[in-house]
Amino acid sequence: MDIVMLHPSHIPHVQTCNITNLPENYFAKYYLYHALTWPQLSYVAIDLSKPPKSPHDPPKIVGYVLAKMEEEPVDGIPHGHITSLSVMRTHRRLGLAEKLMRQSQKAMVETFGAKYVSLHVRVSNKAALRLYKDTLQFEVEKVESKYYADGEDAFSMKQNLDFIWDAVKKEEALYKKDEKKSDAEGGEGGDEDEGDPVGDEGQEDKKPKEVMRKVKIGRALGVSDLVEKVEQPKAAS
Amino acid sequence: MPSQQPLASKEASLFRNVLKFYETKQYKKGLKAAEQILKKNPKHGETLAMKGLLINCQGKTEEAFQIAKEALKQDMKSHVCWHVYGLLYRSQKNFDEAIKAYKMALRFEPDSQQILRDLALLQIQMRDYNGYIESRRLMVMSKPQIRQNWTGLAIAYHLAGNLSEAENVLTKYEETLKQPPPRTDLENSEAILYKNYIVAETGDYQKALDHLESISRTAVDKVAILEARAEYNLKLGNNEAAEKAYRVLLERNPEKRLYYTGLEKSLGVEGEERLKIYEELAEQYPRADAPKRIPLDFQEGDAFKSVAQKYLDWRLKRAAPSTFTSLKALYGDVTKRECLESLVEEFLAKTREEKPVENGEKLTNGSSTPNNNVLIYTLYYLSQHHDHWRIRNTEKALSYINEALELAPDNADQGELKLGLARILKHAGDVRKAMEEMDNARQKDKSDRYYNTKCSKYMLRNDCNEEAIKTMGLFTRNDVNGPLGDLLEMQCVWYITEDGESYVRQGKLGLALKRFHAVYKIFEDWTDDQFDFHSFSLRKGMIRAYIEMVRWEDSLWSHPFFRRAAVNAIKLYLLLNDKPHLAHGSLANGTGDGAVDFESLSTTERKKAMKKAKREAQKQEKAAAEAAAKAKDERKGGEEKKQDDDPLGAKLAQTTEPLEKALVWLKPLLEFSPTFLEGQTAGFDVYMKRRKYLLALKCLLAAHSIAPEDPVVHEQIVRFQNFLNTKPELSPTVQSIIDETFTLAPKEGTLAEFNEAYLSSHADSARASFSVVKVRQVLGASEGSESEALIFDALKKEGATLKDAVDGLALVKELKGDVGRYTEEARQRWLMANVFEVKA
Repeated sequence: MDIVMLHPSHIPHVQTCNITNLPENYFAKYYLYHALTWPQLSYVAIDLSKPPKSPHDPPKIVGYVLAKMEEEPVDGIPHGHITSLSVMRTHRRLGLAEKLMRQSQKAMVETFGAKYVSLHVRVSNKAALRLYKDTLQFEVEKVESKYYADGEDAFSMKQNLDFIWDAVKKEEALYKKDEKKSDAEGGEGGDEDEGDPVGDEGQEDKKPKEVMRKVKIGRALGVSDLVEKVEQPKAAS
Repeated sequence: MPSQQPLASKEASLFRNVLKFYETKQYKKGLKAAEQILKKNPKHGETLAMKGLLINCQGKTEEAFQIAKEALKQDMKSHVCWHVYGLLYRSQKNFDEAIKAYKMALRFEPDSQQILRDLALLQIQMRDYNGYIESRRLMVMSKPQIRQNWTGLAIAYHLAGNLSEAENVLTKYEETLKQPPPRTDLENSEAILYKNYIVAETGDYQKALDHLESISRTAVDKVAILEARAEYNLKLGNNEAAEKAYRVLLERNPEKRLYYTGLEKSLGVEGEERLKIYEELAEQYPRADAPKRIPLDFQEGDAFKSVAQKYLDWRLKRAAPSTFTSLKALYGDVTKRECLESLVEEFLAKTREEKPVENGEKLTNGSSTPNNNVLIYTLYYLSQHHDHWRIRNTEKALSYINEALELAPDNADQGELKLGLARILKHAGDVRKAMEEMDNARQKDKSDRYYNTKCSKYMLRNDCNEEAIKTMGLFTRNDVNGPLGDLLEMQCVWYITEDGESYVRQGKLGLALKRFHAVYKIFEDWTDDQFDFHSFSLRKGMIRAYIEMVRWEDSLWSHPFFRRAAVNAIKLYLLLNDKPHLAHGSLANGTGDGAVDFESLSTTERKKAMKKAKREAQKQEKAAAEAAAKAKDERKGGEEKKQDDDPLGAKLAQTTEPLEKALVWLKPLLEFSPTFLEGQTAGFDVYMKRRKYLLALKCLLAAHSIAPEDPVVHEQIVRFQNFLNTKPELSPTVQSIIDETFTLAPKEGTLAEFNEAYLSSHADSARASFSVVKVRQVLGASEGSESEALIFDALKKEGATLKDAVDGLALVKELKGDVGRYTEEARQRWLMANVFEVKA
């Protein structure tokens, strides 16, 4: 398999993978909403066992992670959220879930400054629970009663992303050292600007913008366009 | 502007309320307020318009259009009236008319940003790039301080193919910035990356690279920067820089093939060096699959054996069910697949020897020790190996899987293996037992939807549609519209398609069409889905992702999901065109068993049969309606079930214009999948029947260029020439075009000779034999018995598949040949296939 960022053309097959494996399903537009709001955060595992019939045919998807940033975090801390993650039964025990998750988490930190990542899992879903707890090191934060449409409770889990921040900082430091070296070797003096990844302040800055976004334009003109909002998903997971 | 008299102040304030109610979706209140105004000013155009809009929101479209037209009559020069008119058309998805109306509205209110925006959205949805550029230009001019407006204009130029202007627009905005935005400005980060993406598309990679380095510390999408840096450097021949970038990327994600190809190219490695690179990377990323697996693609002979052995060792020891899947792609190469088989056999023998012995007893069906699991999944590999279509030794495959099953007492593994067993049975044609075994797998873990899904699929393959939907229903949301309603809403294309194909097999053409049309509807919805993103993405600022989405949407209808449904639907409509009586369930003896043989009846008998069929259909529909009503009562209120006035698809099947209906599917198929063989051959059939000979020829030529030796193409070439031989009356232009372009038929000799020559040059193909038989039928060229012998022969051809054998059966029936003997002979080869069973 191949692990790559989610592209819109993957969506029909991601949707198939989801409805094959999980009870929480979404229409294509909800996947698009993820792919077009946080394109860096969702990844897919592509099946390479059959060569495509024609070069433009979309590949078959055997696993995916669909992720987002919490838009209005209650705790005020920027954090990511795993909307859905699954791997086809035929491709289990390859560590795919973990590999997908790591890609997503890294981008959450680098691009959106996430401090932690959260998710929900059915209390009855032992296999998933084992994956999140043991393999991915998530911790159960609380039980959310009747979270699912059928009345089942969910474990609300989260994982601190400090370990990724540390790794990113190390890489940045390496990169800077590298830069200085090549500058010294006679390159043009690179502008030494702030080299840190997006931090807290960034998220603070973004807040007013997020609010502004909601102002409807053209109210005074009367016939306002109301198709703006992307529909809510049928089931949040 | 001389519009209508303005409203008195009380009414004017009421009017403002109407607008407010509309915006907040309080349609009833809005209507009430509008009526109040109209009581005093019955001819007030804008109020009438708003009334129409509100009524449309309540679903009364026809009435809404009437009122809106009346509104325009009263107030031709009101932008509100025109805008509403446009909105009504838009709600009907009649975008062309909506655009016209918006343009009228803009004429009377040129400064309205709202109308301009609505217009622009439709223009981009319709891919009217020039119109979109113009609207976007006006928006920049009126609000140049807003970045979104500039980005929007750049998008317009970019999509229209004017890359340099797109880049200019973005640069112009950047130049207005007094100081660079902070790194935390995501919109800026994306906008500069978007500009880089445009520059790269111009093909000027040096410029793109320079620009990339100038923004690399401002943009926060690290992967995008790294990937672009690697790609540009590689294209520019800066191999060292490219290599460095690819190594960084591999460090992030050692499971992306593109990075490995990039690294190889930047290093320019060949032969042994090439393998060395992978060995180093495999050591560096011990958990990664790719660096171990890729060498199997390029190594040959003994070198292959050595890398394959290492890979198999590593994978088989992990006892995972997916080892075979990882290697399947190599099976086209006979040496490689034979090598893999012997390596796995060796591994198996070794594992058997190493089997732990506890208390002096051999573990035959005991604990699932790691070693036991290794053994189980090695056997599993071999079962899949022998089940592969290039090998297909069902007996061996079954013996391996059964041995594995005996060793696997644990539920989880049992489920996995039952799944494998069911798959082997399905391939052998025993769909009934396959379904049972898949149900056994499902029973092992009822909370696992994967098992549940596969079980439903196998039920459909066995034409147990009721059981399938009931099984699916264990995981769907079963509110008002039931399991099927949920699957439709959740766009579960695979199920809908399989359900439809099952109905085709059963001759229930109405239901089949209904399912395929549901797939069509899903594609329409996917097309509409992009609409909201034209504005949404500008606000979110993720422009590159948006552009990718637009481009994907442009090719959406080439998706294999659509192609499959389309080919099915077109075949059904062609069938209904030839045999309209098949629209009636009881006369539709799709497989030829049981029902009346309609075609052999006399005219009066036919009429009688038709009448009877109609009565039966009415009864069925009534029963379906009653069942639906009953189900509704049981739900006691709640959400209203969507009305379906054609639950069995009878109206679809009884269409009086099947060929026109086929065109609805054919057009997107030909436009978006021009290299799809089955689409072109279907196109030939439809156009011949419609007597559009040039269009038919166009399809034939396209099909020929895709697969010149294909049996169907051969058949169609003969049919076309045979048609020309009848000296049809064609217009001189058509005739001359055909003369010039159709050179596929033999210049000398008869078509019959051409046909026999095709037979002898494709002696090993069952499908070719069938095609030759069909052509003989068309030409009336031979005795039935000779043809029958040919079909029987095809059964024995080495490459013949079960599907070929089933097609042959249909052909024997068509020729009114010896079905019994054919079935018996087919059974000799496909022992387990249900289709060739003797019916008790």
